[in-house]
Amino acid sequence: MIQLFNVYKTFGSKNPALIDVSLKINKGEFVFITGPSGAGKTTLLKIIFCAEKPTSGHALVNGRNLNRIKDRELSLLRRRIGVVFQDFKLLPGRNVFENVALSLEIMGVPLSMIRKKAHQTLRYLGLAKKEDYYPPQLSGGEQQRVAIARAIINNPLILLADEPTGNLDPDLTMEIMALLREIHSKGTTVIVATHSQELLKDTTRRIVALNKGRIV
Amino acid sequence: MKITFFRYFVRQALANIFKNRLGHLIGVGTMAIAFLIFNTFILVFVNLNHWTKEWGRSMSMSVYFKGEPDRVSLENIKKELLHFHGVTTKRFISKDDAMESLRRRLGEKAGLLDGLKENPLPACLEIILSRDKSGDSLPYQLKTRLEKIDIVDEVQYSQEWISRFQAIMKAIKLIGMVFGGLLFLAALFIITNTIKLTIYARKDEIEILKLVGATNRFVKIPFLIEGAIQGFLGGLIALIVLFLIYIIVISRVDLRVGFASLDIIFLSPQFILFLLIISGIIGFIGSTISLGRFFRI
Repeated sequence: MIQLFNVYKTFGSKNPALIDVSLKINKGEFVFITGPSGAGKTTLLKIIFCAEKPTSGHALVNGRNLNRIKDRELSLLRRRIGVVFQDFKLLPGRNVFENVALSLEIMGVPLSMIRKKAHQTLRYLGLAKKEDYYPPQLSGGEQQRVAIARAIINNPLILLADEPTGNLDPDLTMEIMALLREIHSKGTTVIVATHSQELLKDTTRRIVALNKGRIV
Repeated sequence: MKITFFRYFVRQALANIFKNRLGHLIGVGTMAIAFLIFNTFILVFVNLNHWTKEWGRSMSMSVYFKGEPDRVSLENIKKELLHFHGVTTKRFISKDDAMESLRRRLGEKAGLLDGLKENPLPACLEIILSRDKSGDSLPYQLKTRLEKIDIVDEVQYSQEWISRFQAIMKAIKLIGMVFGGLLFLAALFIITNTIKLTIYARKDEIEILKLVGATNRFVKIPFLIEGAIQGFLGGLIALIVLFLIYIIVISRVDLRVGFASLDIIFLSPQFILFLLIISGIIGFIGSTISLGRFFRI
């Protein structure tokens, strides 16, 4: 599903963010990417959903070489990848329903279908009563769930979550993790980047550890 | 384009305008000013053009007589004129008519004329030469022919003046096109930057749309529709303001050149429609240019 071959990424003249990263993640896997702040976790996720291109090396996602992907193909690929951003990246001027509907609107799904799926997803995430709220009116945990709802509404092949529990208290952390496991159980490949050791305790999932841009 | 998309684009564009109404208001205002400058220039240009055409269309010629011509001689001259294409007799002004007209023009000061022992004003036959039919040499031919007649004292015509006027107009047109082109570019520059500001305020939105898999076209089209609407509204306001200025100007200013009064015309309905469409297109182009730099994600 995801293959990285000797990927390097540098930003300007700074220290490289990723150094010689090779990685293979199979379909249906649940993988943690871990490491301290600045280890390159976010950069690695960005490479996977092509917000950044490798400085050298190759990245293949769902059979597509991201170095050579065209704009239109990239858009189509991103529709198969749900991303939960560390800072949520919700549109403050659109309400919860509209934020979640966004992923379907861009695909040209008819409005009646969008309504049905959005209600369903928001109910699933316990946000049914918050549909008309705007992101700034919601708590961190609620915003996180809206971001997840937007990421999963079109049944993506891959779900990337960058520090999905970073701003949450332990109870909410458990809740979000349970949610991610449930999404994974339906066949979605889930990749979670986190610096929290607490989250990794007792896990049987595969852990990819990064330090200063290298896999350790 | 799927109907779902089209509906989404229009709905989104209108929603964005409503949500960012202050920004859009400022944008429309700035565009209106830019268009007003451009449209004012166009209006002045259209009027100059109109006046040249009006003056150039027909040319008047005055045939002055040595004394009061008798009816038969006058009829003979009129008959002779019929041989020339595009020549029509406007009117005959006898010596007495000329004096009467002068008296009227002098008004209260007409008493000055009472001191005259005899009427010094010549009788005159005014003729019109249509520009469409008469060649450039016709006025001269006519003048030579008429001046050979005994009772004719002198023939005057305005050809020289019109030629000079038309040469000046040609220069004005050339300068106008260059100046108009520069104004158009200036308007486009102002508008592009105005739109850039509204887009910049929403760069996060563009980024998010791109990251969830929206195609460039999907992200751009609502902005382009917004730009076109903004441009159209800016153009509409500019035309309304220009029309109000026009009304004020024609009610207060009386343009007279010699005895000829110049009427100031407004833009024709077709031209207004054309300018409105152009305004929309400029808004659209402005958005397209402004959007370019936001699509590197």
